[in-house]
Amino acid sequence: MDEMTANVSTAAVRADGLSRRYGATRALGGVDLGLERGITGLLGPNGAGKTTLLSILATVNEPDTGNVSVFGLDPRDAAERVEIRRRLGYLPQELGYHRHFTVAGFLGYVAILKEITDRRRRAEEVAKVLAAVGLEARARTRIRALSGGMRQRLGIAQALLGQPALLILDEPTAGLDPEQRLRFRELLSELPGNPVIVLSTHQADDIAAICPQVVVLLQGQVRFAGTPAELAAAAAGHVWTAAERHPSAHVSWRGGDGRWRHIGDSPPAGAEPVAPTVEDGYLLLSHAAGTR
Amino acid sequence: MTAAAGGPALPGVDTVDPTAGQSPGRDRSPTAGLQTVMGLARVEALLLVRSLLILAGLLAGGAVVWLAIRSAEPLWWNVDWRIGLGQVVLGMTVLVVAQLAASRARRNAMTDLYASFPTTAGIRTVAQLAGLLGAVPASLVLVGATTAVVQSRGAIGTPSFAVLAGGLLLVLAAGAAGIAMGTKFSHPLVGTLGAVLLFLSSGNSHLPWAAGLWLYPWASFGDQLGSLPGPLAGYPPAGAHALELAGLAAFAGVVALATAMTRGRTRGLLAAGIIAVATICLAGALQLRPIPTADLNHLVTEVADPGSAQRCTTASQVRYCLYPGFGSLLPSLKAPTNAVLAHVPARARPADSLTVRQVAGLSLPDSTLTHGHPDRQVSQWDAQANRSPANRTSNSANVPPASTVYLPVGSWPAAGGPLADAHFDLALAAAEWAVRIPSQAIDSLPPQASGGPSRKVTLACVPLDQAREAIAIWLAIIATHPSAGALTGVEGRGGLTGVKVSDLVAVKVGSSLVPTDIWAYPGSNTTAVTGPGHGPQATVAGYLLAKAMASLPEQKVARLLTDGWPRWLNWHSTDAELAAALGIPMPSVHAGLSQPGTPVEPVCTA
Repeated sequence: MDEMTANVSTAAVRADGLSRRYGATRALGGVDLGLERGITGLLGPNGAGKTTLLSILATVNEPDTGNVSVFGLDPRDAAERVEIRRRLGYLPQELGYHRHFTVAGFLGYVAILKEITDRRRRAEEVAKVLAAVGLEARARTRIRALSGGMRQRLGIAQALLGQPALLILDEPTAGLDPEQRLRFRELLSELPGNPVIVLSTHQADDIAAICPQVVVLLQGQVRFAGTPAELAAAAAGHVWTAAERHPSAHVSWRGGDGRWRHIGDSPPAGAEPVAPTVEDGYLLLSHAAGTR
Repeated sequence: MTAAAGGPALPGVDTVDPTAGQSPGRDRSPTAGLQTVMGLARVEALLLVRSLLILAGLLAGGAVVWLAIRSAEPLWWNVDWRIGLGQVVLGMTVLVVAQLAASRARRNAMTDLYASFPTTAGIRTVAQLAGLLGAVPASLVLVGATTAVVQSRGAIGTPSFAVLAGGLLLVLAAGAAGIAMGTKFSHPLVGTLGAVLLFLSSGNSHLPWAAGLWLYPWASFGDQLGSLPGPLAGYPPAGAHALELAGLAAFAGVVALATAMTRGRTRGLLAAGIIAVATICLAGALQLRPIPTADLNHLVTEVADPGSAQRCTTASQVRYCLYPGFGSLLPSLKAPTNAVLAHVPARARPADSLTVRQVAGLSLPDSTLTHGHPDRQVSQWDAQANRSPANRTSNSANVPPASTVYLPVGSWPAAGGPLADAHFDLALAAAEWAVRIPSQAIDSLPPQASGGPSRKVTLACVPLDQAREAIAIWLAIIATHPSAGALTGVEGRGGLTGVKVSDLVAVKVGSSLVPTDIWAYPGSNTTAVTGPGHGPQATVAGYLLAKAMASLPEQKVARLLTDGWPRWLNWHSTDAELAAALGIPMPSVHAGLSQPGTPVEPVCTA
């Protein structure tokens, strides 16, 4: 625990004892977290507190208790909060759009809100993020005419404006097709400046593919923080396949090859142990936390 | 990275740099806030400029202004206030658009995203308020287009800068109100409701004191601006009203900022709010001040005794007496008058010269005009104003001379079709004077049932079966050349037999009913001209004969008249004699229909 505290206190972005309630519902219950430069995946089921945590880190929400520090800045101080926001790119989970704006118009508007006031610089920024998300050809299209996937890419594009040092993306791959997801992974991994990136997702394979770090949030608490390999390793010896469904398994599903994949305490006799994945580790944690 | 429990800690960074993570490209200069406001305001202004709703408001506002001024004399002291009515309509749409813009983030579920930007809600609201300048072009287009129309129609007077500025401020105040609403309420109907309230407030005053009319955003009805002989300072109190609108705009802006800003600068906002409210109160008090007695005395005198204020010009034996500033009307008055008189030699005209005189009507008591003055003073003004030639119908004892044609201020139309109608109207009046048809006759009314002596009254006389009536109408026709379709009479409606009894206007002359006024001529539905005097009642027979004469070669009729003016000016010469002299059949006219209670009208016998 001492080691963990030390790491938290020196992280670029850190949260100490964050808790947040919405009426009788506890969204966060004492979250300690430190985020380094690079991509961190945030995994958790619906209602785990991911969106609340991200909104607090984005200075949009305030915790009931606990502290947040972003690059050494305290969001409780008005001036420092603005400074944090100057370094921030944020994609909320549920984002509406000004549907009558054009794509470029919307990005230009957001760029001004991000204090990119120089016109030439703004135009360059808009062009750059449009190219990054593959929407250059849609620059003059009204947002109302975009598909759901295109709107999601537009949301990512606005978050990228200004080359943020802290990029918070709440379920950015929702609505993207497989090709777009691949492109998104490539985009994040190639962002210049080595920013701190936090993305929440239900897609464990996204985490495995691009996140050097992963945090599992369950019932408002951090249940795991480590590398994807470590998360997968946490399920070692708990995953097996069999021809039949095994009643003692915590989680079972039938694969494309017709065989059942099980996650449980230990494989029964005759079962074929298999190498665990990030998803297996996450599911095992979820079961242990009683969320499944 | 680390977690409180459940997993291994992650490697951290060695040091934390407060300047770390600063993103390139962002404005860090001391004027960054101002630059951001200007950038956002530019976007908001462009959205307003390109808004189809505001374009619709501009068109609707233009239509409203057009409807308000199209049939009125282009008097700037009336028109500039009517432009404000169009600004009300434009302001309604600006209010709706501004409310939608201010509530954009919440309505589009983007509150969280906006909250993550360094630009605060307060700065966004300031930018939106500044962006209202995007509504200025539409407002100026309305003013400019109306100005072009009014100037092309021969504008009288000059526009009031204070009134026009007030219209612009009204649009800005409406937009600021929309932003204030939008910062609190995101439902789009809120803006619509605000627009409806703005529209309703442009009606008559519901305040307990009449001058409160001016306190509304824009009072559009209930004034007498269109009939005044000139601008009257303080009616309406334009400068104070513009100040009130500026105060309202500022107050709405303060409310919007106070709603948007969650913390800080409350003291400054409070001070600004107090100043705005004080400005509104001061402007209200200024608007409720009575119009100075001297100004009202001058106005009533101008109305009651037009000659005291007018300048007269004599041309071709006709005097034209106009209020100051109306000199530009002279050519359009001279043209039809001279055209008639050109066909009537001087020896045939009446000895008294014809006077064409402007008159102004003033309806008193009107508390928007006379508020704050003692009742006795108002009664005196009322009695004085009733002596105006324009008010003579309410005072039969005030008989105007028969050689005067009156032009009520505000009724002489502008260029185009209505002006042609007015030209015919004036030509007809001049022709009736030229052929000496008296305008009225004094008649006796029998004693009332309650007893008492018989009363002398002035009634419009009827030129029954008098050739000079047809000549007068013919003179008006050849002087102004109305289009073939402009003159429609009984024949256009299938003849007398096709006319419903309810359509018939007939007067009882002696024991017979004479159809009158059953023909429509250019200007017959207007009041561009009254007179001479009450004006005779044209008969259907006279009209039909004149039309038949107009179908003859002009020289033929002119030669007949030149050879026998004394004969044709004699009221004993009949329609039949004139028809026979011209060799045309006498149009047949129905004898008239009996209508109970028809009063007996005198025949024009002078």
